[in-house]
Amino acid sequence: MSKSTLIVIDQPPYGAWAGREALDMAFSLAAFDQRVSLLFMGAGVNWLRKSQETSEIEQKSVEKNLSAAPVFGVEKLYADAAACDQYSLFPESMIAGVVITESSSELIRQHSHTAFAG
Amino acid sequence: MTHIHVLHILNKAPSHPRSVECLSALMPGDTLLLIENAVLAVASLNEYRAGIPVFALAPDVIARGLGECSENTTLVDFAAMVDLTAQAQQIISW
Repeated sequence: MSKSTLIVIDQPPYGAWAGREALDMAFSLAAFDQRVSLLFMGAGVNWLRKSQETSEIEQKSVEKNLSAAPVFGVEKLYADAAACDQYSLFPESMIAGVVITESSSELIRQHSHTAFAG
Repeated sequence: MTHIHVLHILNKAPSHPRSVECLSALMPGDTLLLIENAVLAVASLNEYRAGIPVFALAPDVIARGLGECSENTTLVDFAAMVDLTAQAQQIISW
């Protein structure tokens, strides 16, 4: 199992900072050429929704942050299939390039390191 | 030295969504180690998957007065906890 880190975000966007901190960790790892991917689970899948308009809540849209992921070199963005169903998130309502996974726990086991948001 | 495939270290209370995620990730050959808030599960220990050894950190259990309701959980001290981590092929801290 080559060294690779999976950052798991299961916290909803905007309500708390844990998710953003985890995203920053992922970007830092990628910036230092570590193999890293992101997995969104539970309420965290809501990060992936398209057209987030955040001016009224005075926060930067996480959608914009996420668009930087490939630039930083984050390998893959995964979304938990069951959570997507639960929050009626369909591929067309998600940002591009997200891989939907049927078994998140299997995905977690495939990475040598795992870190959770908060 | 029994071999552990994946050691799951859980510190979330049973009501926390991450606890549910952890429990659903348990597979044969894995071991579960409860620490901090997760030791509350010894008081509600019922739905764990059969065949998965469950350990709990004694200082956390005793601090919360849960000593007598942890029959089907093995209490470990810090040194024994370190041994568990040494036996595991992979560790996931939930």
